[in-house]
Amino acid sequence: MSDHDLEDHADRLETIEGAGTAEPADAPSIDEGRYLYCLVRADGDAALETTGVDGEPVSIVVADGIGAVVHACDGIYDSGDLAQIRRWLVRHQTVVDEAGQAFGTPIPFQFDTILRGDDDGLREWLREERSILEQALEGLAGHWEYRVEVVEIDPIDDAALIERDDRLRDLDERIADAEEGTAFLLEKQFDQRLTELRAARRESVTADLQERLAAEAREVHALERSPSAGLSDDVAGGGSDSNASAGRDADDGETLARLTLLAHEDDEGAIGSILDDVAATDGLEVRFTGPWPPYTFAPELGGNGDGTDGEHTNPNL
Amino acid sequence: MTAIDVGDGEDARDGLMTLVIAVVEILIDALEREAVRRMESGNLTDEEIERLGGQLARIETEIERLKADEGIEDGVNDLRSDLDGLVNDAIEQLHGEPTATTQPGHSVFGGESE
Repeated sequence: MSDHDLEDHADRLETIEGAGTAEPADAPSIDEGRYLYCLVRADGDAALETTGVDGEPVSIVVADGIGAVVHACDGIYDSGDLAQIRRWLVRHQTVVDEAGQAFGTPIPFQFDTILRGDDDGLREWLREERSILEQALEGLAGHWEYRVEVVEIDPIDDAALIERDDRLRDLDERIADAEEGTAFLLEKQFDQRLTELRAARRESVTADLQERLAAEAREVHALERSPSAGLSDDVAGGGSDSNASAGRDADDGETLARLTLLAHEDDEGAIGSILDDVAATDGLEVRFTGPWPPYTFAPELGGNGDGTDGEHTNPNL
Repeated sequence: MTAIDVGDGEDARDGLMTLVIAVVEILIDALEREAVRRMESGNLTDEEIERLGGQLARIETEIERLKADEGIEDGVNDLRSDLDGLVNDAIEQLHGEPTATTQPGHSVFGGESE
């Protein structure tokens, strides 16, 4: 088993690793740990050779058909350097992607998730949590995460809205007949009504899309309309995902909806055709990415009170 | 947080004027909405509506003229859209829109208790 070899070199790995990162004062101390990328279904002889976060060699530790993709580490990864963090995140994601390609849908861990102990401790943890992990892997098998962003490139023009709305037509007529001061107020009211209709249209586009997607996907979640942080904005030279920054800018259009959904790979076509329908609407653009490992839909391991508290137990290192 | 920079020296006057006009415009917008609401409620006579609308129209014209004279139209627009963004962010945070993103940070399991 190739993953056993790593254990023997643990000392060497720790020295390499220790040189890499400056740790903040309040960082938890870790003498020996395993940085977790994801869990996959794997046989005892499974192997995954790639480079992980901070250039660490990645291995897969298998127990009873469940494999944890890891590298050996002795501290958390933290840095004030955004470019550094971005590189780490990209590596983390790349490793999870590769594991997914090799072994099927992975259960991804969040960046910087570390289990104290060595490979044996990790195996023990995998065995202890086997039923929960097995259930989670089974549940997510063949499912991937897809992200959808609907952007209004061209706002619908006034004439089209007036044509459809009795109230706007009525106001329009009253403005024509009114004296100057009254017309001024009626125009303000007219503008308010236009704004309301635009907002209602956006909401209905979003609600309608969400409902139709829900019929094909297993789960659909709405995300914040604008990501709270755009790494690509802050760090020059990163160009993998140009859609990451949301459009509050006028030239970029306004983001009407950001959704993330979990769907079986067989349903990708059906979802694509729903999105095509929306994209065919005048002025709307749909941005679709995936398949991703189910980052949003992975079960919360190690949280409190959800029946998976076992992670807190000492893996006896 | 958006910093409001009024500049210094010669710029300070423009900066301050921009800020004052932006605030006045926001006030006028609120007045106009209130006026429309009262007009809709049916409690105002036609004459009152005409007078109210006329006054607001004159104020708006005055403000537009002032902005043009001072050459601060763009400045006022920029400042107001910055403020809008700020308010929108605050509202979105208040609403606590559904979000599936998780908190950043590290997780360490096993070993010593944290």
